[in-house]
Amino acid sequence: MKITRRKFFRVSAGAGMAALTATAVSPFLGVVNVAEARTSKKSKIVPFRFVVVGDTHLYEMPNHRFDKTFKKAIDDILKMKPKPDFVLFIGDLAQFGKVKELEKGKRFLDRLKRAGIKYRIIPGEHDWYLDMGKTWKKMFGRPYWSFDHKGVHFIGMNSILVRDYWTARNMSPWERMLAIAELECHICGLWGVREKQLEWLKKDVKNLRPDTPIVIFTHSPLWDYYPRWNFQTEDAPQVREILSKFEKVIAIHGHVHQVVYNKTGNMVHIGNLATAWPWPYPPVELPYPKIRMLRVDPGDIFDGVGFASTFIDDTFLGKMKYETWADLIPEDIKDGVPL
Amino acid sequence: MRGIKFLVALGTGVFIGIGVSTLLSVKEATARKPFTKEDLKLMNEELMALVKKGDELWHSPKLGKNGLTCANCHPDGANSNPHTFPKFQDNVGKVATLREMINWCIKKPLEGKELPEDSEEMKALEAYAIYMYRGFPLKPGDNTREYPPVEVKSGPGYP
Repeated sequence: MKITRRKFFRVSAGAGMAALTATAVSPFLGVVNVAEARTSKKSKIVPFRFVVVGDTHLYEMPNHRFDKTFKKAIDDILKMKPKPDFVLFIGDLAQFGKVKELEKGKRFLDRLKRAGIKYRIIPGEHDWYLDMGKTWKKMFGRPYWSFDHKGVHFIGMNSILVRDYWTARNMSPWERMLAIAELECHICGLWGVREKQLEWLKKDVKNLRPDTPIVIFTHSPLWDYYPRWNFQTEDAPQVREILSKFEKVIAIHGHVHQVVYNKTGNMVHIGNLATAWPWPYPPVELPYPKIRMLRVDPGDIFDGVGFASTFIDDTFLGKMKYETWADLIPEDIKDGVPL
Repeated sequence: MRGIKFLVALGTGVFIGIGVSTLLSVKEATARKPFTKEDLKLMNEELMALVKKGDELWHSPKLGKNGLTCANCHPDGANSNPHTFPKFQDNVGKVATLREMINWCIKKPLEGKELPEDSEEMKALEAYAIYMYRGFPLKPGDNTREYPPVEVKSGPGYP
């Protein structure tokens, strides 16, 4: 008899689900109340949908397993009806920042462009540390930017800037890249957006009214989750301070390859899945333990991975739905996590 | 017949006698002193050398063929859950040891060639995984959840 993990899981899930559903309501209440409070205001938002995809970690070799999962994500995005307004790529297109890896990634992304779907992109550490972002910038332009869309101000920033750990160690570019390609790199140090981008951010939001809806994208979370794995941004407190004047900010990040949610002050934070592989949960308590993914079958390359479609309504209440190809998302957040 | 029985009895008696005296002498011989600090240090250095070798292999693409390493899915050994083995492993289809599971990972996600289970490489990988879960109570058969490893503040996660 072959007992599959899914069968195992379903048996145990049946019993646990009632309790899970009952307690899962509470973390959302705060968000829902915020939305209700806002409905009285005159909204300028025209409701729309956008997609977040990333952490594709493409390797140079042809027909790699990560090509297959990224392809599936792009195929699914192209089939979406109605079309998403745009796609946000949240970093780590390549595994080792090689030209061929980035070129391969761009070919995938250009399928969106050809179908009339614009994409925006920010870098991850895997894209950057072979040539310090040279190829990436040549291909995609400035790694931090902002734009307005249907009443929402969108910001993208490069959050993976570390201090020099290679010169004193006399490391080659390849050695520098290999070091930071390890999640648990213990010589790389903490990363952040740094002074130049903080100054830019201050200017960018200076003239915006506090009721402007803000969505910010960074590769890494803008809160301290597990610094050991750079599940953090060192100067996130400064970023949050600059954005503190706004009524509400939605912060979306990659890097963690998992479902994770948090709230800080006026911000809601949510992590995106990778298309490459899932990271395990770190040895710290989740701030919202019910918003997580289920156990993954490592024998299935389409399990534990995916992307997200995010709906923004006219009150700036968001809903991020994890788009997956396996039984990964708990029942009570299957339709989306309110933001 | 009687002669044979006598010889057997005599032989048994002598054997028991030798056995008892051997046991006594062995007992004396094995009652050794506690290891000295120096002994313990040397033995620990041997273990740490194996853990370090395991750490290197854990982060090496040479075990597989698609560029992936164990650490792709298991940073700091996370979710390797060594303290829950042996356990029924549905992807292996039977009760599996940690070494069998490591080989499954090498063969499937890494698309590589399985290691001989008594190889130095296998011992090193096992040592690294177990070391990253030091202090965890043994829970053979536990399929209820995944366990994060020890929390690492700095360095490779071992002395």
